[in-house]
Amino acid sequence: MQHRHLLPNEFDLLLDEESGFGVQPLRDHVRGCAQCSARLAESTALVASLDELPLMSPRMGMADRVMAQVPVFVPWHVSARDTATQWLPSSPAMRGMAAALIAVVGSVLTGLTLWIATRGDVLALFTGLVGEGVRNTVSQTAGDVIVALFGPQLAAAVQQVGPLGVALAAGGFLVASLATVFGLRLIATSSRARS
Amino acid sequence: MSPTPVLDLANLPDADVVALAQKGREAAYRELIRRYERPVFSLVFRMVRDRELSEDLTQDTFVKVLTHIDKYRSEFKFSSWLFKIANNVAIDHLRRRQLDTVSMEGSPHATTNDLAEATSFELAASNESPLQELEARELGSEIERAISQLRPEYRACILLRHVEDKSYEEIAATLDLPLGTVKTYIHRARHELRRLLEHVRDGGIGPLEEGEPA
Repeated sequence: MQHRHLLPNEFDLLLDEESGFGVQPLRDHVRGCAQCSARLAESTALVASLDELPLMSPRMGMADRVMAQVPVFVPWHVSARDTATQWLPSSPAMRGMAAALIAVVGSVLTGLTLWIATRGDVLALFTGLVGEGVRNTVSQTAGDVIVALFGPQLAAAVQQVGPLGVALAAGGFLVASLATVFGLRLIATSSRARS
Repeated sequence: MSPTPVLDLANLPDADVVALAQKGREAAYRELIRRYERPVFSLVFRMVRDRELSEDLTQDTFVKVLTHIDKYRSEFKFSSWLFKIANNVAIDHLRRRQLDTVSMEGSPHATTNDLAEATSFELAASNESPLQELEARELGSEIERAISQLRPEYRACILLRHVEDKSYEEIAATLDLPLGTVKTYIHRARHELRRLLEHVRDGGIGPLEEGEPA
């Protein structure tokens, strides 16, 4: 047992319930020293009072008030994953079926693509057919629109002049429109300047 | 198709909830607020001793933390980072308030004694406003009053140690202080509190009564 009173930092060791080397002699001293024992008891009571201080509550709705000011940033990959997850079935069995279906469709498409890629003549024929179909559809639709808007005479004229004539006519129409717009703006500006 | 399964955020450790917040989960933001609104509010309230202001400062703390949640580094404890910001917000406010304090002895620009007297304040030593009285009741015990008289840095250390139950190392990390300084502050704070509470001890009333030696 030591024969001097405890130093302030030694009281702190006991208050913080330290258990390291050298603490036991301090406890032994306190047991036999009325002065140190009284001071330790006083400090222990203070620490106990501090430990018992309650937590306080803010007004209700703190989270709403905070979240009204916090922009929640969702990274694109999380957003994409969330969207994908929403489309996934929840039960494992359904997920298995969905995975099997995706695998079958993917395999068929891959096989088909590979087969077409290895057959150049088929690919050329297929591309030609698709191109022809698209061209026919576009010219048919354009013809219908012209007939509906301007009458069959203009449609016949367009058919006669061909694509170059159509492009020239469209260009002329565009130039005329732009000239009209600029002319109107010029008139409006000069009339404002006069007033 | 059913919605994605809901995570049980309440049972996740802070680090996981923060990770979810960093991925933009609003529910995780709210969970962090739910976990820490009382500890942060308690710390701030005891630092500034004004309920309305503490509400605002607590809100500011959470807004700062959650707006910059992407900058949080996981090698620190989330609570240490949060309390560091809360403490800074409170200390900044106390500093501003100190700067805003007008001399009680009158305007420094007063050129005559009469002018100085006209611009001076009188302290109503024991007359607290009803609001202050209410807050004093809330922070009612003698020990709360004693804590309020500590220097802000002592107050922060003692509150983190005893109310928030932080280790010395965590307090050092939270307040950006050397460990030795934290130990010194806590020691001095306890010493100061004992001194401030002497009258309670001598009168045999208050929260210290139970622990008193016979």
